[in-house]
Amino acid sequence: MTITIALPSKGRMKDDASAIFERAGMKIVAVGNDRSYRGRVEGWDDVEIAFLSASEISREIGSGAVDFGVTGEDLVREGLADADARVEFCARLGFGHADVVVAVPEVWYDVDTMADLGDVAADFRARHGRRLAIATKYWRLTQQFFSGSHGIQLYRIVESLGATEGAPASGSADIIVDITSTGSTLKANHLKILSDGVILRSEACLVRARKADHQDNPVVDRIMAAVRAAL
Amino acid sequence: MPLINLPAFAGDLLADFERMETLRVDTPVIQPAEPFLDMAGEDLRRRIFLTQSETGESLCLRPEFTIPVCLRHIETATGTPQRYAYLGEVFRQRREGSSEFYQAGIEDLGERDTARADARAVGDAMQVLANRLPGRRLKVTLGDQSVFEAVIAACGLPAGWQKRLIHAFGEPKQLQKLLAELADPKSAGVFGHEVERLAIMGMLEDEDRLVALIGQTMEATGYSTNASRSPRDIARRLKEKMGLANTRLDKATLAVMREFLTLDLPLADAPAALFRFAAKSGLKIEAALSLFDARVAALSRAGADIGLIRYRAAFGRPLDYYTGLVFEIEVEGEAAVLAGGGRFDRLLTLLGAREHIPAVGFSLWLDRIEQAVAAGGAK
Repeated sequence: MTITIALPSKGRMKDDASAIFERAGMKIVAVGNDRSYRGRVEGWDDVEIAFLSASEISREIGSGAVDFGVTGEDLVREGLADADARVEFCARLGFGHADVVVAVPEVWYDVDTMADLGDVAADFRARHGRRLAIATKYWRLTQQFFSGSHGIQLYRIVESLGATEGAPASGSADIIVDITSTGSTLKANHLKILSDGVILRSEACLVRARKADHQDNPVVDRIMAAVRAAL
Repeated sequence: MPLINLPAFAGDLLADFERMETLRVDTPVIQPAEPFLDMAGEDLRRRIFLTQSETGESLCLRPEFTIPVCLRHIETATGTPQRYAYLGEVFRQRREGSSEFYQAGIEDLGERDTARADARAVGDAMQVLANRLPGRRLKVTLGDQSVFEAVIAACGLPAGWQKRLIHAFGEPKQLQKLLAELADPKSAGVFGHEVERLAIMGMLEDEDRLVALIGQTMEATGYSTNASRSPRDIARRLKEKMGLANTRLDKATLAVMREFLTLDLPLADAPAALFRFAAKSGLKIEAALSLFDARVAALSRAGADIGLIRYRAAFGRPLDYYTGLVFEIEVEGEAAVLAGGGRFDRLLTLLGAREHIPAVGFSLWLDRIEQAVAAGGAK
């Protein structure tokens, strides 16, 4: 049986992932030309590579259409319900670092923790005639963190697919949940991260779809061992 | 409208509702999603079936009846008091059971005699269940948010802490966490370095100066001062938060609150027990207790079997529109909740009603009642 590994199709993520596989003794070569979306691994005939976009990779692992994928933990946890039951995070690859954080306007001097935010959210409707609005593309992570971990129910999510950090200043939302790697964009937009507001410390991971036929496939174990050894 | 998947007892149930002087209403299955998400919170999004109109309006399959019935009441500008009854399908993603099932219930809007209306809601729910399940012993659990609120207020906690605790009522884990924080001086509030700077500048004592400073900072950083929290909101809450951080509950008060939350006893004994508890602990909660007492009296007068009802002080629902009575009904010895209800005096104003409309109601899980009926027949 052929094992399919989905890798990012472009950018730093593609280069960093290829470098790790090369160190693991799995040199990846494109099938056809350089821009091709299929690849193979030199000397591993039963492995094929699919180059996909990072968010597609999490979906394809979730559905089991591919066996392994390299993508951000944030995208997997956001894209899949019950992520840990459906996939295994085999290795953290040390690149693509990004934290998913809760950030509020710096000028909210009274808000430094999720408990503070809970207080503000509880009162928001009475004071402003609407719920506290959170701009984010991370619906699932936000709900789990606010409702599940901190007992905060009273907020509304405003979907934001780009320039999320600008939402509070423009008035389209009150606070944001977004990724940050250095925090400089947040700072430039006069936002601060809550002291207990890191939802997830994400990085690129080698992720395996939990499929029954992986049980007695030696190639699966060999791939995991090779990548771990290369880190 | 004879639907073949209706529970066999639907007709009898509707006849009961009619005898209970209600107006039967129906609401569209496809509803705007906003009011549900606004009232119950984003968590509901995972459990309802959402779709969109061509123009992008968020729509959902009716997940329950209370909000649609209340919206209909507001839109049709019907006078109050008015008792509505409904029976129809609702749609929710559940762990167990089908995601489309029947619910029925009564919503009593605008009745000013709180005790009487509460007693009627509990009594009617017990009655319709008893009629479907003759010979089965029902178990009713009753809680009261307003008694909890009165206890918290009488304990002399600052407003901020009261709000936190009230908000957590009905979520035992969250409530215990907050009580532990109140007892433990280690977990003081977290203040950013900005606040230290303000303290050094002497800004924290002078609210007006603080408000002005926050306003200037917002303008300088391109934040609008009226789109979200205003400078005064922030200044006031900062003061409130300093109060929160400085509050330590003494052991005696904490013990009083913990003792209250463990109260679990037959409803008939509850008023006397609550009066004793208040006297012993020195809490001034007469207003809430007299309403509680009046409700118990009204239940007896209405002929409800009070022996089936237990009062549990910690029983509540963590939704901010519930204000007083909450209750649940099961068959004794079985886990399935067959009916749930409560008082939601804040809901109609939240949904846009111009005047305050007190409201109480209950809903019945017809699929579970059907199973209980079948299980009874098998025995």
